Amino acid sequence: MSGSTVRVGRYELMVDRLYDPEHHLWVLPVSDTRVRVGFDPLGVEVNGTLAQLVLAPLGTVVRRGEAFGSLEAAKFVGPLVAPVSGRVVAQNPVALSNPARIEQDPYGEGWLVELETTELPAERAYLLEGAERIALWFRERVEAYRREGVLAE
Amino acid sequence: MLRTAPERFESPEWVRISMASAIVLRFRSGRFSRDFPFGGINLLLQYEDGCRSDCAYCGLARTRPGTYTEKSFIRVDWPLVSTDDLVERMARYESALTRLCISMVTHGRAYADTCEIIRRIRRRVQTPLSVLVAPPTLTRERLQHFKDLGADMIGVGLDAVTESLFRRLRTDVPAGGLRWSNYWQVISWGREVFGPWKVNCHTLVGLGESDRDLVELFVRLRDRQIYAYLFSFNPEPDSRMGLHPKAPLTRWRRIQLVKFLVETEGFGMEHFRFHEDGTLAAIAAPRALVEQAVSSGLPFLTNGCPGADGRPGCTRPYGSYRPSEPFRDYPFVPTPEDLQVIRAQLALDEILPSPATTPAGGPVPSRPPELG
Ligand code: SF4
Repeated sequence: MSGSTVRVGRYELMVDRLYDPEHHLWVLPVSDTRVRVGFDPLGVEVNGTLAQLVLAPLGTVVRRGEAFGSLEAAKFVGPLVAPVSGRVVAQNPVALSNPARIEQDPYGEGWLVELETTELPAERAYLLEGAERIALWFRERVEAYRREGVLAE
Repeated sequence: MLRTAPERFESPEWVRISMASAIVLRFRSGRFSRDFPFGGINLLLQYEDGCRSDCAYCGLARTRPGTYTEKSFIRVDWPLVSTDDLVERMARYESALTRLCISMVTHGRAYADTCEIIRRIRRRVQTPLSVLVAPPTLTRERLQHFKDLGADMIGVGLDAVTESLFRRLRTDVPAGGLRWSNYWQVISWGREVFGPWKVNCHTLVGLGESDRDLVELFVRLRDRQIYAYLFSFNPEPDSRMGLHPKAPLTRWRRIQLVKFLVETEGFGMEHFRFHEDGTLAAIAAPRALVEQAVSSGLPFLTNGCPGADGRPGCTRPYGSYRPSEPFRDYPFVPTPEDLQVIRAQLALDEILPSPATTPAGGPVPSRPPELG
């Protein structure tokens, strides 16, 4: 483990943020009322080669569990599910114009949206935090996806 | 100092595989939107100077901009893999595989390389194997040789279903020259060599043909015990038909249904009425029989060479539509929810007479049911 990352197999995870364990999205508070949201490296990989990203328009209010966009890959399409409730206040233009950046740099240039939210304290319980818990969950997920045959070997 | 030639990533040492094949063989991570078993492996010969044909609708056409390596075939990227690595993985995952297929391209080395690849596959893997042939490279003896090496079916990519359309899109094009007569010669040889229901003809819906053109071909092929396999035209960006629209969904569904009725239920031209422009106007058959076909969901499955169990083995998921678009062909039997969508797309009431006016007897099935 180093600084603010933890390594699980070939994946390097940032542990300075929270994770939605079901949908493989990270949540990084950037101010008291604003969070940035993006994919963790496994969440983006299991969908396959990305083709298109659609994000809800600025100003859209989403509840936790509702879609804030959708993502299309070579053989897969699915909703992007909000890990916290809030209002979409920023979309990442880089990810929109070149979805490959989400795969290449999911924690950096490949972030998805920023949400304005006051719900984080209440919804934090649904999210994972802390290096150990994150690593444990991630290891289990890698194993499960491997069993399903979703990961390249 | 001696310099070795740089390695050329070409067949027979290298092949391209479909993205769905790459996922199921775990060359690439990924998954399908819906959950269904999938085991059809499609591979494509690879040459740096590419296919020597120039079909107006094809992503590999010679005069389409881009190098051969950059060109996509049916839109999604086809990963390049080593043939030996591929065969190794086929052997490892063979229990999940249903059908293997080698797509030739029109190239001087294609025949010899196809033979070599069949040999390498057959040494390790017994899953049924088809060859989607490139007619200009073949003779009757060569087809026999494919069979002797272990291919049990062939496909012929006729694509354009009338001679004039074929000539316009595949012969009289900048670097074209493919011949309609050559394609039919190879279909005939294939039928002689491989036997009944062991040859299929790929037919593209949406290139500019009429419904009548398609039905005539379905009947003609069925009478010779040759399958017609439907493909929905999907414009390849930058190809000469990149801006040509796809067939509307209602037309596509009706063509799927009609093809099924011809091939499986023994319908002939006399069971269909057409408008003057060749568009399907009516199906003259007992409504119950047609409804039964629709309810089975089978007409809407992907047409593809069967697996060892007789069920579709080559199912090409999302092959001619994006995952975010409505299904064109289904790589699994449609669910009741899917069938609701299909029925709305079909708008059957427009082409089926009411029960009171339909004839009592239907046609007789033309194909043994075990052929699926
Ligand atoms: S339908 Fe048959 S010939 Fe056509 S691509 Fe599939 S396996 Fe090959």
